[in-house]
Amino acid sequence: MFKPGLVHTPVTPFNGDQSIDYETFAKVIEFHLANGADALALPMPEGEDLSLTDPEQRKLVEFAIGRVKGRVPVIAHVSDAGTTLAVERAVHAEKAGAAAIVSHPPYFWHPKPAMVVEHLVQIGTATGLPFFICNPPVESAGTSLTTETALQLIERLPNLAGVVDSSFDWVFMVEVISNGRRIRPELQLLCGAEFMVAAGVVGGGGAFSGLSGIAPKLVRELYDLCGKEKYVEARGLQEKVAALHHTVKEAGASGLKDGLAGVKGAMAWMGRGCGLPRPPVKALDEAGGEKLAAALGGMVFLKDEPQGW
Amino acid sequence: MAIVLKGIMQAPVTPLKDDFSLDGKGFEKMVDFHVRHGAPAIAWPHHKAESLNLTIAERKLGAEIAVKTVAKRVPVSIFVGTLSEEDSLDLARHARKIGADMILTISPYCRRPAQEEIYDSIVRIGTHTDLPVLTYNSPWRNGEGVEFTGDLTKRLIERLPNYIGMKDAGFHSQKFLEISRVALNMRPGFSIIIGVEHLLAAYPMGACGSFSSSGAIAPNLCNRFFASLEAGDWGAARECQYKISRLWRLFKEQYPSSLKGAMIMMGRPVGPVRSPLPTATRERIDFLKAQLEELGILQTEPHGW
Repeated sequence: MFKPGLVHTPVTPFNGDQSIDYETFAKVIEFHLANGADALALPMPEGEDLSLTDPEQRKLVEFAIGRVKGRVPVIAHVSDAGTTLAVERAVHAEKAGAAAIVSHPPYFWHPKPAMVVEHLVQIGTATGLPFFICNPPVESAGTSLTTETALQLIERLPNLAGVVDSSFDWVFMVEVISNGRRIRPELQLLCGAEFMVAAGVVGGGGAFSGLSGIAPKLVRELYDLCGKEKYVEARGLQEKVAALHHTVKEAGASGLKDGLAGVKGAMAWMGRGCGLPRPPVKALDEAGGEKLAAALGGMVFLKDEPQGW
Repeated sequence: MAIVLKGIMQAPVTPLKDDFSLDGKGFEKMVDFHVRHGAPAIAWPHHKAESLNLTIAERKLGAEIAVKTVAKRVPVSIFVGTLSEEDSLDLARHARKIGADMILTISPYCRRPAQEEIYDSIVRIGTHTDLPVLTYNSPWRNGEGVEFTGDLTKRLIERLPNYIGMKDAGFHSQKFLEISRVALNMRPGFSIIIGVEHLLAAYPMGACGSFSSSGAIAPNLCNRFFASLEAGDWGAARECQYKISRLWRLFKEQYPSSLKGAMIMMGRPVGPVRSPLPTATRERIDFLKAQLEELGILQTEPHGW
């Protein structure tokens, strides 16, 4: 069974003319591989998947797989509003050599639970790859997974390997693990961000990390402690990561608190500039940039993290 | 003496007679049952106790019975949240007068208060009494409900020396850490109590315990759960949490109708539920019985008072 472990979710760098900056993207990939990634997943929301065209998403996945050259598994993220768009992207990703597929419930629409299940069943059955479903953050504009929809998907999809949870909702996590494992004992629950203590202690394992581009050592250390079930001992690290998470998400003008401007701002502050987020996401203005820098400057633990590439 | 809050704390239901009046004798038995079965604190009247369907006079009477029955064996918290802030102040004064150990409060519901309004409300109540104060964090999705953010918690700790803890019903890693990393560092010993017992995720992050939903049915399970948390026996703790979560799923619909129905079946006659909430039907109780048997609760937990 495919266990992705600590999955880094790289940003997508852009040039000033809004084209994808592949030269920097290659550096991003190498940085993640050199700093604790067990696998990569892209383009996740942190990689601005919503702002990429379909051909761009395909090319990005091909480029990453070509660059990684099998050193770690590459998981392709194929969420979209329309089912066939996501299905075809999943088929493409399998041909390109992706190790697994991950998908959110449909973007934008607010379909009934049966339609969410149908959407994800079609994506899941489009390939023979291990399939992961994401429960988005509560602030997100999309549809959430409920325990019931998740359980139906586990019933219907033999290749459904796990749930990536960004709801951070303890009730959902416990219900999915405890009921889902009665259907599929090896079902995984991966934390959709770095809140690994809670996800681990309730029985989860593995995580998708967007902060790994900023503080990969801290993220890895927390992940390893949780892997040893040292949850009480991990509290201090968990609080540091939460402080960083809060700072990044609060930066920028996003009503969804998507953190895109904050992540790129913080990466630049660490000496790993990846350009600005694509419109309509606004980059940090001067005051926002100064506020972010002041907050990051106050986080002493960032001094132990790699500077530059 | 500082109050130490730790463990699965019990929030008794309110027993009613068949005519829906408060059953004072039954309530004494209920409170005593919890204390004898290991409750480290008693908290009343939470939603489980149909708090908002009780008159203010009934809430005062119940608080007196609770304090008298517990008789200092464990700390008693009185919930003073109401629809009207004036009633909350009245209940807070009353709790002080009868010798309760602390109050639990929230800014009046049904108003989607802004952060500033919640702040003013809690400061008003918290400076109105010298009892230790807990606040009830009840965020719903999309900014509804009454939410205590990390910033608000910080300001309240700065303002109120008697602010000792929070009942947290967010059940959310990110939101929990916003509160805990601020509060536990500013005021060591600040008690974050999860309501109801979705405690497993929160315990290693610094929660001290929970207010229980299922303790009226399964006190042994509650005590075993907390002992496994304290021992760091995560496997055993998971087993308990999964079982408690299944119980919560059985009870959460039209809470506390099913819970009261199951209690009656376990030999603890706590009567009907006040309208608009329904009273559990015979069929529902039979269904619960089968479920509790499958979970092993019926066989391992106390029957009768």
